Amino acid sequence: MSETKKTGQTVQTTGHAWDGDIQEYNNPIPRWWLWSFYATVIFAIVYWIFYPAWPIGHSYTPGVMNTITYTVNGEEKTTHWNTRALLVRDMQTGEAAVKQRKHMQEVANASFSAILSDPKMIDFSSKIGKVLFEDNCAACHGMGGQGVVGLFPNLVDDDWLWGGRTEDIQNTISAGHIGFMPAFDKTFSEQQMDDVTEFVLSLSGQAKDKERVARGKVLFTGEGGGCYYCHNQQGTGIKSVGSANLTDHIWTIADVASQKDIMAKRTRVREVISHGVNRTMPTWKGRLSDEEIKLLTVYVYNLSGGK
Amino acid sequence: MAAIEQYNYDIVRKFSIMALIWGALGMSAGLYIALELAFPLMNFDIPELTFGRLRPVHTTLVIFGFGGSALFATSYYIVQRTCQARLFSKSLANFTFWGWQSIVVLGAISYVLGYSQGREYAEFAWPLDLLITVVWIAYLVIYVQTVRHRSQPHIYVANWFFLAFILATALLHVFNNLAVPVSMFSMTSYSAFSGVQDAMTQWWYGHNAVGFFLTAAFLGMMYYFVPKQAGRPVYSYRLSIIHFWALVFLYMWAGAHHLHWTALPDWTSTLAATFSIMLLLPSWGGMINGIMTLSGAWDKLRSDPIMLFLITALSFYGMSTFEGPLMALKSVNALSHYTDWTIGHVHSGALGWVAMVTFGSMYHLIPRLYDTDMYSKKLMYVHFFLASIGIVLYITALWVAGIGQGLMLRGFDEYGNLAYSFIETVIFLKQPYIWRAIGGAFFLAGMLVMIYNVFVTIGRAKKEVEILEAKIAAKLASA
Repeated sequence: MSETKKTGQTVQTTGHAWDGDIQEYNNPIPRWWLWSFYATVIFAIVYWIFYPAWPIGHSYTPGVMNTITYTVNGEEKTTHWNTRALLVRDMQTGEAAVKQRKHMQEVANASFSAILSDPKMIDFSSKIGKVLFEDNCAACHGMGGQGVVGLFPNLVDDDWLWGGRTEDIQNTISAGHIGFMPAFDKTFSEQQMDDVTEFVLSLSGQAKDKERVARGKVLFTGEGGGCYYCHNQQGTGIKSVGSANLTDHIWTIADVASQKDIMAKRTRVREVISHGVNRTMPTWKGRLSDEEIKLLTVYVYNLSGGK
Repeated sequence: MAAIEQYNYDIVRKFSIMALIWGALGMSAGLYIALELAFPLMNFDIPELTFGRLRPVHTTLVIFGFGGSALFATSYYIVQRTCQARLFSKSLANFTFWGWQSIVVLGAISYVLGYSQGREYAEFAWPLDLLITVVWIAYLVIYVQTVRHRSQPHIYVANWFFLAFILATALLHVFNNLAVPVSMFSMTSYSAFSGVQDAMTQWWYGHNAVGFFLTAAFLGMMYYFVPKQAGRPVYSYRLSIIHFWALVFLYMWAGAHHLHWTALPDWTSTLAATFSIMLLLPSWGGMINGIMTLSGAWDKLRSDPIMLFLITALSFYGMSTFEGPLMALKSVNALSHYTDWTIGHVHSGALGWVAMVTFGSMYHLIPRLYDTDMYSKKLMYVHFFLASIGIVLYITALWVAGIGQGLMLRGFDEYGNLAYSFIETVIFLKQPYIWRAIGGAFFLAGMLVMIYNVFVTIGRAKKEVEILEAKIAAKLASA
């Protein structure tokens, strides 16, 4: 037995030595350690008393004096503490849920014009709408709704393929859309393609070749191309089929607006006529509640000032 | 040198060197994926470089490559020295070395190619799982046989921890990886468990991988190198027994705290939370025993960088084992779960405890393996400060990230709406992610300094031996 001095008191080692000099003091376990350990055990036991804890056969101890009451089909139900009931209760009587439900009900009962003339409801929709938009819509349309030219429509400008009235937007979000334009690469000859392209550019005053425009007009407005079926005779588009207005300066598919050079503009338009368009806006009814769609409608409507 | 060593140091040297190499590679992979999180462009649209594939490369290289090799090295060293017995079977020991290294290499390659079991820290495809099992059994045989052949009447505490680690890891590995391969020639397999049982098995494994691989085993390391380096007896033998058994018994129950607020039954959740709380003091037992061992020789902290590493490691161990039970409480977990707080917590343990105690132990071990002194004490200090700064930056950044995101995800506005969209929380994370990467870069820089220091040390030692041998040869020739 070797003895060593340690802070005034004599503590013995266990008497073993390993690898020459490794020894162990026979110090008692620190009191505070032991009592703290007991405290954690007591904490655990108390926890077990109040919460579901120990399995017994196919059941378990449910815990006492710790029940949760919530409503199922109008009837009150009381159960032992469990996370599912906790969620149900929170969604039924939780502070935030109650508050939100009150505002949701207001929105559900109000017409769009009533919502749009009430600053409180507009504020509500802009707060919840921002989160709904960023969680559900921003993946395509971008966080601010600016979209991606050629892929996803810009929701911030005041041009609407499918209509910009609140009812139109609500319908678009609920039911979704398939934006389709056939590919004309097999229909038109090279020259016809050049002609229609030039005519399309002329609709917004960007054409350079009058002869092509004249020939293109015949194709566009006649049975040769039949473009007028969807874009109509004036080229202003038809909202019910989602066809683009070609007479304004807003381009959602062909990126003409950012091109300065006439050749580049022609290329962009030509690409769309050749390949057509096929895009989908998904259906949100069922994924979002009717109130959420309504609020999102107001939010999107307000992004551009609506029309 | 032809002289027969009393102990098998060759195997210890091999594992030690590989530990350092895997450390540098694994931490580099970690830094890269940390940068990918802050700057997603860095995956360059190359599938092999994406976060999902490189993340298991990082965890496997640091846990099994760096940590595993360090444990093989130190356990083989400690068991020989504290049992005063040569390591059992040189060839079997070499088999564990080559087997383990090929597991790490093949694992990393298979993840990059897209083969993963999808089980955290157990991503190895089934053929590799089989190889791990064989190598691990060899490890167990070597360890038990060496302990059996000891010339010491008592088994030193470090060996209890190593044995518990080897046995528990075998159990965890086998049960968590029970799976049916799709075919003999497919890398893919189906888990034997499904649904919540599968998740439960995975986290029983996952948490005990932390508990036994990254804690118990490194406590074994601590129990040898701290008293050895301090030159003082272990503070309390009684504490070591009590905290050992408490730790081993309680850890096994705690894994389900990774699954709070999920489909897991509530009673399982409760047991996991309470056993996690009860784990606090048994964990601290190891810290107390380590730190109190130094009491009376605190002055060593001023002159001995190795002691600085070891004591800092114990402090981080104490801190993260306090944080862990806290996060295992259901109410805290509701905030912390699925946020970077968890990642920060695991790194305060992994960098602060596991890596720091390994660095300290290696700085003690390597000069002894090569019969020399460390080349530069100054570089050891440089390493220490780089690593410490790195850890602090890393953990702090992820506390901000995790707690911030947790609070944002549960924030309500005045109408009772959730106040933030998910993408807003992602935007918020960018800054802390950059700081985390900077912290990681500091830590990696420290690791590289260590490698330089160690390799110069080894190079010099070899030269010294050569000079000595030349002298002896010259003397013999002239005689």
